[in-house]
Amino acid sequence: MADGRPVARRSDVAPGTTRRVLVNGVEVLLCNVDGTIYAVEDVCTHDGAPLDQGELEGSCIVCPRHGARFDVTSGAALTLPAVLPLPTYPVRIEGDAVYVDV
Amino acid sequence: MIGAGGTLGLMATELQVTAPGIIEDYRHGFHDPEDKYVFKSDKGLTREIVERISSMKNEPAWMREFRLKALELFLSKPMPTWGDTAALSEIDFDDIHYFVKATGEQGRTWDEVPEDIKRTFDRLGIPEAERKFLAGVSAQYESEVVYHSVREDLEKLGVLFCDMDTGLREYPEIVKKYFATVIPPGDNKFAALNSAVWSGGSFVYVPPGVEVKTPLQAYFRINSENMGQFERTLIIADKGSKVHYIEGCTAPQFSTSSLHSAVVELIALEGASIRYTTIQNWYRNIFNLVTKRAVAHKDATVEWVDGNIGSRLTMKYPAIYLVGEGARGEILSAAFAGEGQHQDAGAKVIHAAPNTTSVVTNKSVSAHGGKTTYRGLVEVLPGAVGAKTRVKCDALIMDERSSSDTKPTMKIQEQRSTVEHEASVSKIGEEQLFYAMSRGLSEADATAMIVNGFFDFFVKELPMEYAVELNRLIKLEMEGAVG
Repeated sequence: MADGRPVARRSDVAPGTTRRVLVNGVEVLLCNVDGTIYAVEDVCTHDGAPLDQGELEGSCIVCPRHGARFDVTSGAALTLPAVLPLPTYPVRIEGDAVYVDV
Repeated sequence: MIGAGGTLGLMATELQVTAPGIIEDYRHGFHDPEDKYVFKSDKGLTREIVERISSMKNEPAWMREFRLKALELFLSKPMPTWGDTAALSEIDFDDIHYFVKATGEQGRTWDEVPEDIKRTFDRLGIPEAERKFLAGVSAQYESEVVYHSVREDLEKLGVLFCDMDTGLREYPEIVKKYFATVIPPGDNKFAALNSAVWSGGSFVYVPPGVEVKTPLQAYFRINSENMGQFERTLIIADKGSKVHYIEGCTAPQFSTSSLHSAVVELIALEGASIRYTTIQNWYRNIFNLVTKRAVAHKDATVEWVDGNIGSRLTMKYPAIYLVGEGARGEILSAAFAGEGQHQDAGAKVIHAAPNTTSVVTNKSVSAHGGKTTYRGLVEVLPGAVGAKTRVKCDALIMDERSSSDTKPTMKIQEQRSTVEHEASVSKIGEEQLFYAMSRGLSEADATAMIVNGFFDFFVKELPMEYAVELNRLIKLEMEGAVG
């Protein structure tokens, strides 16, 4: 659960960009898809390394190492070499504050 | 005349062995004059060349963007830091023609194919192969498929079998849906290179429930010196369908290195079955760096049958992702490394669903100072309950100068699975040889017989004319091997 503190400012995550934050010890990637912010775990399920240097194309985050694609709205793995989905987390926006429940 | 697979026997008498293991006149070492080319790009790779390839092919915007993005990935990715890095460092990416277009129009019937190209294919036995038993022939000459035909009954069944360029042009929805979903351009440096400059290769779609009874075949050939060949193959077997695809490769003799970097994607949807058979016989200056990967959905079966002979360096690890319950994968591979050659081949299987099964069998022979490496991965992901896998790799070393490495990796993240691994390395037995020679065989014949026996599990999985070719090829490779 969120400890009540915001994890980022909404304005820090412009549309089409991502931002990596630490929430209760979990590395979370905030992704702004056309104005809506989604939160997924910042770990590629293929090789266990972070996704935050990858490009956000629409609602897909592309792993910078081997090109695996995930839909950040559902966590689903869309292309190999990833098979398992990304864990996703509920996001709450209050004013400019972004809260993530982990 | 035995067809595509049997040409080796026809030309075998032209070989001259001047020293043990050194084949002076390579049987497919003929060149055609290159002045007939319609277009040949400058050496080296730039954004302009990639754009030129895309515009010459009249591709849709998404493919052009795909290529350009892949080019950026290729340029940004470092060379592999594993494997035979010394040999890899010999590749000069600026000394390669990335696109050669041999003829303006694609021939539909044999008569329409230009005379000099036809001569080349005649020597390779393509028309014979078609007449005899093949469902369709798709022969790749340089970067473009120049001759292509599909038998009428296949068309009636709704099976699509054409070159990848035609596939993109005529079936854009299917291509866009599946292209690069199995091997994204960012997968590795050479997949990125292929994605940027791909040309030719095969596109196959088998509709639900259709069983293609005769194998589909493609024949690849590199002719132009310093030309990379970057074919792209995509095979989709829809629900409950079945297909067997065969490719065979030869290349003529070159003085400097040439690069072959293909991408092959197989998709077996629910209950479908794909077998993909490859026999590669590259000349010893070719770098053969290929990414092959298949995905098998629920109750689907994928089989890779992969024979690697020749090339300077081969790095090839056919992979199967078993993503649906009950999916089955099998990888059979055989490698032969002669003088100055390194066969770095293996297999990868990822069990990502319950009750999936796989079998990996690899056999390699190194002779005349050649080197073989088995590099394999078996991964059982969490939740793949009841997964079963068996890996067996055997290496045969023919002499003191040759060597072999076995590098299996196993990542098992599910306790309720069964994993078996078995490996052996052996040297050809003096007693075996002595016995065979005491029965009247020459040393070369005895050696070839022992090696053929070692490869027997693989050869018996091949269509007859390929089996004949492989046995003859091994015999040629073994000439003067011991002594």
